Amino acid sequence: MSGAYAKLLWHYQNRSAEAVAQHKTGVPVVGFTSNTVPWELIRAAGCFPVLIGPELGVLDKPTPFADSLMEPVFDSRIRSIFNDILSGAWSFLRLLIIPRTSEPEHKLYLYLREVARNSSSDKQPPVYLYNLLHTRSPVSRKYGNDRTMELMEHLRSMGPINAKSLSRAIQESNRARLAFRRLQKLRRSNGPRISGSEAHAIAGALYFMDRIEYAKLVDDVCSQYKSAKVLRGPRLLIKGAPLHHARFHQAVEAHDAVVVAEDDWWGSRAADAAIVPRGPASVVTAVFEKYYLHAPSPRVSPAADADRWFQNAVRRGVDGVVFYLPPDDDVYGWDYPRQRDFLRERSIPSLLIREDASRGLSGDTTTRIQKFVMTTRRRPDASRV
Amino acid sequence: MPRASEKQLESTRASSEHQKVWFASLRRSVFDEKKPYAIAQADMPLELFQLLGVPVVSNQWWAAVVSAKQLSGYYFDALNAAGYHEGLCRYCSLSLASSISGDPAKAPWGGLPKPALLAARLTCDCIQRVFETWAAAFDAEFVALDSPGATQLPPRWWELSRHRWRELFEPHRLDFMVSQFRILIRSLEKVSHKKFTRANLRSLMECVNRQEEYFDEVRGLICSAPQTPVRMNEQVINVMNAQWHRGTEWAVNHARAFRDEVRHRVDHGLAAYPGERLRLMWVGAGLWHDTDFYTAFEENLGAVFVWSMYLAFGPDGYIRYGLDDPLRALASRVVSMNEQLHNPPWANEWIVEQAKRHRIDGAVILVPQNSRPSATGSFFIRHALKDAGIPALEIWADMVDGRRWDARSMRQRVAEFIETQVRHS
Ligand code: SF4
Ligand code: SF4
Repeated sequence: MSGAYAKLLWHYQNRSAEAVAQHKTGVPVVGFTSNTVPWELIRAAGCFPVLIGPELGVLDKPTPFADSLMEPVFDSRIRSIFNDILSGAWSFLRLLIIPRTSEPEHKLYLYLREVARNSSSDKQPPVYLYNLLHTRSPVSRKYGNDRTMELMEHLRSMGPINAKSLSRAIQESNRARLAFRRLQKLRRSNGPRISGSEAHAIAGALYFMDRIEYAKLVDDVCSQYKSAKVLRGPRLLIKGAPLHHARFHQAVEAHDAVVVAEDDWWGSRAADAAIVPRGPASVVTAVFEKYYLHAPSPRVSPAADADRWFQNAVRRGVDGVVFYLPPDDDVYGWDYPRQRDFLRERSIPSLLIREDASRGLSGDTTTRIQKFVMTTRRRPDASRV
Repeated sequence: MPRASEKQLESTRASSEHQKVWFASLRRSVFDEKKPYAIAQADMPLELFQLLGVPVVSNQWWAAVVSAKQLSGYYFDALNAAGYHEGLCRYCSLSLASSISGDPAKAPWGGLPKPALLAARLTCDCIQRVFETWAAAFDAEFVALDSPGATQLPPRWWELSRHRWRELFEPHRLDFMVSQFRILIRSLEKVSHKKFTRANLRSLMECVNRQEEYFDEVRGLICSAPQTPVRMNEQVINVMNAQWHRGTEWAVNHARAFRDEVRHRVDHGLAAYPGERLRLMWVGAGLWHDTDFYTAFEENLGAVFVWSMYLAFGPDGYIRYGLDDPLRALASRVVSMNEQLHNPPWANEWIVEQAKRHRIDGAVILVPQNSRPSATGSFFIRHALKDAGIPALEIWADMVDGRRWDARSMRQRVAEFIETQVRHS
């Protein structure tokens, strides 16, 4: 394991560590719950942005604070966020931004507001609903842009945001985006040289780190892996519910497959191309559009827009697709028949897994994955469809 | 004592009859005369469809019809077989299932014909998927209304919703909804070849107000009468059918007739169940596959279901005064509809208030297993009821899918709850 990779992995595994360290040095820390919150605006206000995610080492931990208020219909990530906030673990946040990126997050916002209304405890940071919509229509676009301006105004109460600080934040972010894209190239080039499990952890670390440091470490990893041995297994893409841990990747790659991409904001879609403002007047709009048009969300509609990245990734060439729909999924399963049919029409094999990988997969499922990898391996060339 | 299955009100019979006749005529006009109709979610601005003469089949109503014919198991199995897994929310997908899987001809009245338009407000993350899949299957247009969340949450929303709705719902949310309405209106105009006018909308909104005022009176009668004059089941039938057609001449007249009949019953001391000793509240969507459940505790325990959200939400959720900008007033009716019923702080505060007004002794909360939006907020509701001294029981079940519903053991559980907690509270 390279030193750079080890550092990235450490941040991926110790998700709140950098935020706590920054807080201790007096830097205001602002939390957010999804990939769709403009990191650049928080940064421009002089704050350290951090994703509030479930801590990796404790995937199955009890959630005593959440249990009496949050029904079991919530998925484990939202539940764990709710629990951690009520426990006071994030009381040092200056603000917690929750985007309207999924319905569970919308509910999380309302639940937190309700708890705050009924208690005088200072355990909870102030919460802010960022009403970013994901329907692709001119009215939603305008609405989202207006809300982004509002968010910026709100963040100004934390630190001055001006043209200089905004441009510096965008530069930091773009630098990380560039490194991130180099890494994705390593995965998708003729012969992938880095495993999906490693790449997934590196992608996830983006949400918890200083982006300058992140870019440097990812560059180091890329330089080292450039000359690594090509990984020979079938090239798979993972599609379905977001994976905030690498256990599913590990389970798939244990059978000599290589995960070259995942249509997931925790993986290949954690970042993409640089933010390029068209002029000084449109800087915030450029930031907004990056998130509105490119960040994945379960609410992107119509389906043709939501499917575009996946279909392009498949067309660029993969040997097979593994659909991951854990038992608590009640969203992505609607897309499955359509996406499965898209693959069938192109004779690309796919496998559907309906177990929760965070708890470890059963023997049966492991055997199914193994069989899938073996049969997929027999395809001589990656499909070009 | 009146039989549990007996319909006591003439209005109930008239209402069910009207719905049947209406749907038969809808089928006639759609098939024979090739007139267009729309499929829409229940929380859509049905007023706009009404105004432009585009008949609507609501997704929820059709699901209830399919479910009442005991066909939900058949269609859900077929949906699962097509690759849609079992864990997906079922409430808003049964109607879709009856169109795209299994034998569509098995559905009541020969099944839903092709609509000219489908429309839904995007509340949960699945709904765009349900409707897009449906629209693709029918090769019909889908109009989505996106729904930003509320960030101002003033207490006691029902005290603001009639007159001070402009404050209650944030201006940016109202503006946004109005701009989406304009898109919907354009689509409806294209379908119907009619023109939208604000004046017509204002008149319709006034009629809706009148209708809901009658329901408000009915609610007042139920609250003040010594025993409920009308069973919850019958309240729901009378209210829901009128709500689907809200603001029409029939709906307003029906609401008035319903009010008159309830008033007459109260004036003559007629109780729905004269042995009523305990008053129950049903929290959540209706248990459409087993509506007899609501009368099952009368004979042995004297426990009568008196309240469900369907009647009470009419006046509190729909009435809007100050109609100088009727489109904006209509937007305010729609922007938070689901949230008011299922999320804190709206739902818990309101339900406690309703329980007190209705002298409720105990509440049964339906937590739908496979329907997240209706399941959420349930714990806040339970806590709020308990804090107010009202015992509450949660039952985990599906509203439309009767496959896993064990009618006997559920009745036993609720009976036990009534005996051990409600009676002694
Ligand atoms: S109740 Fe909500 S989650 Fe369920 S199908 Fe309807 S819109 Fe979807
Ligand atoms: S009662 Fe609730 S679940 Fe049912 S249609 Fe209304 S808002 Fe939706």
